[in-house]
Amino acid sequence: MNIVLFKIAILLTFVLFLLSRKYQYYFGLALHLAIITISSIWVFNVLALSSTLTLPFIPFLGNTLSIKIDPLSAFFMLVINFTVLTGIIYAKGYLQPYCNKKSKAEMAWHFFNFLWLHISMLLVVIVRDGIAFLMIWEIMSLSSFFLVIFETEKKETIKIGINYLIQMHVGIVFLMIAFIVAYVQTNAEFSFDGLSVYFASHNPFWLFILFFVGFGIKAGFIPLHSWLPHAHPAAPSHVSGVMSGVMIKMGIYGIMRVLLNIPDDLFNIGLFVLIVSLATGLIGISLAIVQKDSKKILAYSSIENIGIIGIGIGLGVIGIAQNLPALAVLGFGGGILHILNHSLFKSLLFYSVGSVYKQTHTRNIEQLGGLIKKMPKTAMFFLLGALAISGLPPFNGFISEFLIYSGIFKSLHSASLYTDIVLMCSFVGLAIIGGLAVFCFTKMFSVMFLGTARSSKVEHAAEVNTPMLIPDFLIGFLIIIIGFIPVIFMRLISQIVVLFSADLSTFQQIIPTLNHISLSSGIFIIIFGLLWLLRAWQQKQQIVKQNATWGCGYSGANAALHQYTATSYADNFVQLTSKIVHVKKDFKDFDEAEIFPQNREFKVRTSDVFEDNLITRPGNKILAWLEKIAVFQTGKIQHYLLYALLFLALIFLLTFFNLI
Amino acid sequence: MVSLVLILISSLFFVGIIVKVKAKIAARKMPPILQPVYDVIRLFKKGAVYSLTTSVIFKIAPLIYFASALVATLFIPIGSFGAFLSFEGDFVFFAYLMGMGKFMMIVAAMDTGSGFEGMGANRESFYSMLVEPAFFILMGSVALFTNNISFHGLFLNFNVDTNLSYIIGIASIYVLVFITMVENSRMPVDDPKTHLELTMVHEVMVLDNSGFDLALIHVASWLKFSIFGALISNFIIQSSWAVHWQIAAFFGIQVAFSFAVGMLEAFRARNKMEKNPQWILMLSAISVVIFLTVLIITQKIILN
Amino acid sequence: MTYLFIMLYAVTLIYFALSERVKKFVWLLVIQGIILFAIVFFSLNEIELFDFIFILAETILVKSIIVPWFINKVRKRNNLKRTQEVSVPVFYSIIVVVISLVVSFLISNHLNSSHIHTRYFTVSFASVLFGIYFIIIHKNIFSHVVGYLIIENGIFLLSLAVGSEMPMMVNLAILLDVLMGVLVLGVFINRIGDTFESTRIDQLSRLKD
Repeated sequence: MNIVLFKIAILLTFVLFLLSRKYQYYFGLALHLAIITISSIWVFNVLALSSTLTLPFIPFLGNTLSIKIDPLSAFFMLVINFTVLTGIIYAKGYLQPYCNKKSKAEMAWHFFNFLWLHISMLLVVIVRDGIAFLMIWEIMSLSSFFLVIFETEKKETIKIGINYLIQMHVGIVFLMIAFIVAYVQTNAEFSFDGLSVYFASHNPFWLFILFFVGFGIKAGFIPLHSWLPHAHPAAPSHVSGVMSGVMIKMGIYGIMRVLLNIPDDLFNIGLFVLIVSLATGLIGISLAIVQKDSKKILAYSSIENIGIIGIGIGLGVIGIAQNLPALAVLGFGGGILHILNHSLFKSLLFYSVGSVYKQTHTRNIEQLGGLIKKMPKTAMFFLLGALAISGLPPFNGFISEFLIYSGIFKSLHSASLYTDIVLMCSFVGLAIIGGLAVFCFTKMFSVMFLGTARSSKVEHAAEVNTPMLIPDFLIGFLIIIIGFIPVIFMRLISQIVVLFSADLSTFQQIIPTLNHISLSSGIFIIIFGLLWLLRAWQQKQQIVKQNATWGCGYSGANAALHQYTATSYADNFVQLTSKIVHVKKDFKDFDEAEIFPQNREFKVRTSDVFEDNLITRPGNKILAWLEKIAVFQTGKIQHYLLYALLFLALIFLLTFFNLI
Repeated sequence: MVSLVLILISSLFFVGIIVKVKAKIAARKMPPILQPVYDVIRLFKKGAVYSLTTSVIFKIAPLIYFASALVATLFIPIGSFGAFLSFEGDFVFFAYLMGMGKFMMIVAAMDTGSGFEGMGANRESFYSMLVEPAFFILMGSVALFTNNISFHGLFLNFNVDTNLSYIIGIASIYVLVFITMVENSRMPVDDPKTHLELTMVHEVMVLDNSGFDLALIHVASWLKFSIFGALISNFIIQSSWAVHWQIAAFFGIQVAFSFAVGMLEAFRARNKMEKNPQWILMLSAISVVIFLTVLIITQKIILN
Repeated sequence: MTYLFIMLYAVTLIYFALSERVKKFVWLLVIQGIILFAIVFFSLNEIELFDFIFILAETILVKSIIVPWFINKVRKRNNLKRTQEVSVPVFYSIIVVVISLVVSFLISNHLNSSHIHTRYFTVSFASVLFGIYFIIIHKNIFSHVVGYLIIENGIFLLSLAVGSEMPMMVNLAILLDVLMGVLVLGVFINRIGDTFESTRIDQLSRLKD
């Protein structure tokens, strides 16, 4: 019955093109809600009974395609549904100014693609058959492509969209090759379940690398990430929130699904995933620190968080391989919880930044400042998201990182020597990533929202209307709940972890610890509240004045000029890591003879070192080489006829001398 | 509960001893030991001036900073006295809770819209990022050595019986002393007496705070000194000693630590600002050596 | 007890990577000499008076007193700058020294041999590696001498690792090496100082033909 309703909902998406602009949004919202309801019924069935649900879907290539929902798929469906719901609620306010500028067909196409992104992401996690999976993956890439190039009037957007589409197709080629290799070598089912036959009899490492590259391009592991920092800023904010929040996790889903089919020989795979994820986390957040475009910062930060999820998964796999149950259970648990956490706080951050963009029409944070006075609610939600993403207690980011740390420290004693060195490197890496995230988000929050306005673009900003804040409230509520009472989510996480490692006694041991964390967080908030009351009482009896910030005699003219800029904040970090973050400063120095300095210009440009060396430079070399060949393309038909004549002569000669 | 009370008492005279030692070495007249306490009481009686540029963030940041320092104190045991709060992995919570306090102080400093405070905020976030690995590697080594991962369990089982464990104790104390100096932005990372905005870290971040807020910030910095002093004393105090010896040893170690900090501040010059990152990294390097030592002791590295 | 001093030796290697001042190099060499004496003292099973005096002479006298004094004299004579430039930032050098320490500890764990005392092999190998790295990154010939001495200290420890006692010949050979190196280079530097007024190696390569 539910399947029929689901199929009807999918078919109804085409009705969007027939509606007028006024009703398109509401119809789309209704369809989203319908799909969410139907899939949630399946999810609750699966999670309540901790079983796998198999339903026949549609006839496909002769057989009936069935959908299989196990706890892993159910978890991803929950995350997808929640994030898309907040996205579509946010979209109403965000798309308001575009409604009049775009035509009816363009808006209908946008909502259609948003629906199909939702549907394809849901289907990606529940379809196991190989060919159907690849087709759905393609639909997901295509629909997100059309969503990214929404603002087609900007030329840059289309270039970025095409770049994104090409990289997605490179990924799908790797996936196809991987599936085909497994099928050809074993003649088992062409699906995920058929992979287990391959992995049982062959060395799993090389096929896993193929899958990892294919899924890693979607997830955004370094060095496969270069599409992310371009596509997320170019897309409208509700799309960026959904893409960053869930779509890149589809890559993680794929990797986990492949991992479920590998029985043993896991140490090398775990080590590989761990090393790539540590590099991804460190390099991702380092690149985030030097950006000036607010959405690019968030895009690189997504890369860093994918790194943290990968660290959890890699450690979990190493734990299974080395028979360290604490590491296996807590590593996977932390990684999986971080998938949920990241979708929450990253979409919250994107929605806040989108609201700022809507009000100020700029994404350059060097032109913002002092927005907390104009948009207080957005600022507080951004602060909540920034605190959560830096992994600070008492919010949810800390809980997932704490689980990973617990797994590492609990297994230090029983692990072998080399595993100990690996564990030391991973907790050092996690600590540095956490510190860098604090660095990045203090910079972003304080430059955007605090201080004085750095340009006139802030003058007309005002708080966004309440419907745009509803998703922020929903997400903020969940962030606080997961941070303060994490134990209620542990049952959900344990159902997924048990698929990887059956020993759950560690999970039982972690519950009192999490309760203690809740207690400590509660004490922290109570002390804060008491201090607030104490201060209010003390200051009632005193004089509290307001005055200008102490300027040490430097203030005059423009107060905004004396503030710290984002570039200066990042500067001492840039000096340390200049090889990775390519920051180029263009300015002319003052020479000694210049007594009265002339006007100067100062430009700072950043570029992605991986994109430069892996894509731009080889691309330019190939283009240079092709330009040499382009000499033959003269445009004159006489030359082309000469080429045809020469070709005939060549064929004649070769046949004459019996060479072909 | 006892450890909380002891740490609070020792925090009252910690900074006083440092100032006294510095004054004596500089041949100046020594202020009384409780002078910082008198200063804070005077601040509690004053009103406040808030900057027009700041927002609600500036008002809540000192409260969160002090709350984080106070809750962090609840985790520290002393010898055989348990901590008020203790669970497995609590040193991770401890480190990140202090990070929460630092985050709010950094954004509050940027909130004032002053270039000086921005400079201090930037350096504070950079140096605290660099010193995190040192603390974690140190705690990881001691956790590996004692097979326990809560502060209480770690120090309860930290027995200096073999020769090698002396090294861990001595090297850990050395690293912890310098971690304290980095966390509180003292020498050789930053000179609290210099008051030149271009060279300060912590002092410049609190330029615009006044009254109740400034008092809370001062008390929080005393607490941080005292917390690290208590951590250092844990490496020396054995839980098998008698109770009165433990308390006496605790106060003795706190006095010795504050004396050592005073000497360090009086005789050591400040690092050049650009040399600070590498100096702080040296602490993590020494922590790695401690980790390797523990690997040798626990027989994972087999040497003959 | 030997482990304590082996770890202290590792810490001096880290300080070598951290420091940039020439005076500090000399002090660290003095400290390394004292640590080496302590290592030898605590690891000998039985001490004859003659052996003991010889070891005392070699480590404390030569490594901690004579050689640093000589290098100090050379430094003052040539008016060396207070800090030496490095071609790789100090931050990365510290990471390199940590990696070389971890690698040499892992290698000595791997060498399950009863013929070698692997406990000395750990820091000796790290010392040799780091000394070579030191010479590579520093641009001044004075620092090259210091790097050479770090390698010498590492080889001294290596001789402890492979020998069960202290063969006289090995000790004499090492001593001679040190003295030859320092004397030759010292004479060399003085000559260069007189003719060239600079001890930077890129200028020295003009001497090629």
